[in-house]
Amino acid sequence: MEIKPILSTLMRNKTGVFVIAAQVALTLAIVANVFYIVRDRLAEANRPSGVDEDNTFMIGVGAYRPVVDPMADIARDLAGLRALPGVTHATLANQMPLAQSGNNSGVSVDRSQQQISTSVAFYEAADSLVDALGLKLVAGRDLAPSDVIEIQVGENSPEGPFPVVVTQALIDKVFPGETQPIGKLLYLGVGPNADELRIVGVVEALTTPWGRASWGLANRGDVSMIVPFRRATDSPLYIVRTEPGARAAAMKAAEALLVKPGNGRVLGANRSMTELRERRYRSDRFMVGLMGTMTGLLLVVTASGILGMASLWVNQRRKQIGVRRALGATRFDIVRYYLTENFIVTGIGIVVGIGLAFALNAMVASELGLERLPLAHLGIGVVLLWVIGQIAAYAPARRASLIAPATATRSV
Amino acid sequence: MLQMRKLSKVYRTHLIETHALRGFDIHVREGEFVAVTGPSGSGKTTFLNIAGLLEEFTDGEYLIDGVPVRGLDDNARSRLRNEKIGFIFQGFNMIPDLNLFDNVDVPLRYRGFKAPERKARIEHALERVGLASRMKHYPAELSGGQQQRVAIARALAGDPRLLLADEPTGNLDSAMARGVMELLEEINAQGTTIVMVTHDPELAQRAQRNVHIIDGQVSDLEHVTPLARVAARGAEAAVA
Ligand SMILES: Nc1ncnc2c1ncn2[C@@H]1O[C@H](COP(=O)(O)OP(=O)(O)O)[C@@H](O)[C@H]1O
Ligand SMILES: [Mg+2]
Repeated sequence: MEIKPILSTLMRNKTGVFVIAAQVALTLAIVANVFYIVRDRLAEANRPSGVDEDNTFMIGVGAYRPVVDPMADIARDLAGLRALPGVTHATLANQMPLAQSGNNSGVSVDRSQQQISTSVAFYEAADSLVDALGLKLVAGRDLAPSDVIEIQVGENSPEGPFPVVVTQALIDKVFPGETQPIGKLLYLGVGPNADELRIVGVVEALTTPWGRASWGLANRGDVSMIVPFRRATDSPLYIVRTEPGARAAAMKAAEALLVKPGNGRVLGANRSMTELRERRYRSDRFMVGLMGTMTGLLLVVTASGILGMASLWVNQRRKQIGVRRALGATRFDIVRYYLTENFIVTGIGIVVGIGLAFALNAMVASELGLERLPLAHLGIGVVLLWVIGQIAAYAPARRASLIAPATATRSV
Repeated sequence: MLQMRKLSKVYRTHLIETHALRGFDIHVREGEFVAVTGPSGSGKTTFLNIAGLLEEFTDGEYLIDGVPVRGLDDNARSRLRNEKIGFIFQGFNMIPDLNLFDNVDVPLRYRGFKAPERKARIEHALERVGLASRMKHYPAELSGGQQQRVAIARALAGDPRLLLADEPTGNLDSAMARGVMELLEEINAQGTTIVMVTHDPELAQRAQRNVHIIDGQVSDLEHVTPLARVAARGAEAAVA
């Protein structure tokens, strides 16, 4: 290998080396971090919600004239929904996973606490939400009809104690390492008057209405609890689960059932869980696409820079390439010279770029709730840039190898 | 060492055909110092390029050490150039970004010598041309005569049996030219065959043998009458 003479030559062409190396360094820093962010975002958008997403939907209605007996309407709605073909479960609820609106409450584990232990998505469901969403119970029991507390319009939430089902993530957060969470107490809010909640069951996962917050690692969007409230309302939300393949028809039927001409109701939203996920992560996907496109363009620009510089050097050195050929260089020797030269220049950029990548990572990591840039991602970026560099340099290198040996004697 | 029989070279562009060499016959023996003269455009460089395997020829025969070179592939030609032939150019053709040491090193690397051997050869070659002390200098820091000496060192470092020089003194003043010529004579005295194209009748005179090329054909002046020889010289001088 001709490392030493190539290095000497590069030392005497510092400007070109600097331009390309700087471009490579910057590209590596950006590419490695973008890879990381994109992968994180995609992983997030595909993270299981704990819900049987293919077979669930929500339907909400509003009222445009006073409702006389909301509880009776709700009971009638539920009976009707359950009677629809393919519907297996239906419940009244206050919010829906990934629907991007709902309630959070703070909970504490000790009455002497000044501050809450965590904030938690507060699902109120009159019938089994475990069934209606297809959640997986991993400990204890589901909430039972006998647990249900009815709350009339205008009434405050009841005082505890009452039973709750919580997510494993909640246990991990407030009782880290706890293997026997059933029977543990939580308090709604803080202080001596905080309502007492008794954990009766744990579900593997139930994502919050927002999924993971985009602003911090702390909130992964999986800390949720279910309370057995049947809260009277003139604009109820129902969560419905169907047999596989029956959802689309059931959604139409549900809409026809709940909103009829003259029944005083308007449709709030009728959305499948699939659509809710899509809507929730649409902007993330857009960002991923945008960042991917920008990064692709950046790589193209960098490749063009490398190609341009390599071509320039080849053109400037036509004569000496002919001389090298005259002195015995094979075509392969010439190709190898230029690929090696490119490998070195790109390598200089990569070394600087690794430092830059970590610096950039340190700047954005806390903003985006990311951890330190994993070395694997950097490795991918390094390999990618080296490969792109070699590909970009290949055409000029090959052109160089085709310069006639007679150039040594013929040209001026 | 070098033998061409009925060799021809035609350059074809889309407009014209140039017969740079035709019916070209020459036999250079081991250890000879041949000066090639001839008017500009007569085919001297073409001959040298073909002799040095820098260009292919169109027709005829060319043998190096009795072996025909027609049909050799590019790699084989590169290897032959590297091992058997040394080149000296009119414009020196130093690689400007490499110091003298690295310049002389170029053909040795293609030869595949290991570092210690290369170092020994480079130092020896530079000593031979009297520039061992300037090893770390760059070509731009040297005079033309010195650069041509380095070029000679570069051509000699691999111990070629044949040295081809295309107007090696063409860019030098007469004092420097004489120095280079003396160096070439010394090298020839040590056994290296030399073929040198020159415009300078005085230098040509010093070679063992003169070959005159006119219009792509050899008129070997050793075998023509002295009168014709003088006439040919006159014609050449007029062109130069
Ligand atoms: N690459 C080429 N293409 C076309 N014609 C060429 C080429 N090289 C040389 N020639 C022509 O061949 C003839 C011989 O050229 P050359 O060998 O360079 O002459 P000399 O070295 O004696 O001056 C000239 O007419 C020249 O124009
Ligand atoms: Mg010439």
